[in-house]
Amino acid sequence: MKEFQYVIQDPVGLHARPAGLLVKQAAGFQSKITVSGNGKSCDAKKLIMLMSLGITQGTEVTCQIEGEDEEAAFEAIQKFFTENL
Amino acid sequence: MKLFQNLLGKDNGIEIGSPVAGRLVSIKEVNDPTFSEEILGKGAAVIPSDNRICSPIDGKVTTMFPTGHAAAVTGDNGAAVLIHVGLDTVNLKGEYFTIHAADGQDVKKGDLLMEADIEKIKEAGYDVITPVIVCNPDDFSEIQMAESGDVAQGDAILNLKK
Repeated sequence: MKEFQYVIQDPVGLHARPAGLLVKQAAGFQSKITVSGNGKSCDAKKLIMLMSLGITQGTEVTCQIEGEDEEAAFEAIQKFFTENL
Repeated sequence: MKLFQNLLGKDNGIEIGSPVAGRLVSIKEVNDPTFSEEILGKGAAVIPSDNRICSPIDGKVTTMFPTGHAAAVTGDNGAAVLIHVGLDTVNLKGEYFTIHAADGQDVKKGDLLMEADIEKIKEAGYDVITPVIVCNPDDFSEIQMAESGDVAQGDAILNLKK
């Protein structure tokens, strides 16, 4: 299992566009990807659940990745957060 | 709704109503690839002619965005519908939007979710086209859009078959 923490930089937080792109990225991997923030957590492959987390600028999120392709998923998802959020 | 009875036979499927009065258009007409390329899901869009944005289905408000420019409702029928008023309107940070429903609230089709001052939003330079997206399209075998044209709030704009 791999894990990373990230503090959201984007002034509007995890809104529709990055949430949608994150879901698309996550869907490309077999691994289970969980995003936690604000005391809640959800499957990164579920758009509406992701948007319900209420993640805003300054929120520290934890991303947990577990599965056969967790190495690749970890690289890609961490890169995604850094580049988009 | 006769239109969908003809298309899909006796079983009406699940109807998604228009959240607002206006003009129904294909999602491809939305000038934002997040919606037009179906990144968030499948659906259609309505160009609003009114400020009242209402629930398209019976269900629960899964998320009311704190800025009031978008909301997601999960239907008793299993559809997860996102209503996003305007493009890039998150940048208005809530201005011109009034929230009327909260996270977790039970809603009936037609219940008011938020009010959007469409004229002011347009004046501020934003496109007001409102995508209505089914975020779990893989749970359905078919998602059909009604014919484009003028719609009243509540008129069926999408029909889903499990």
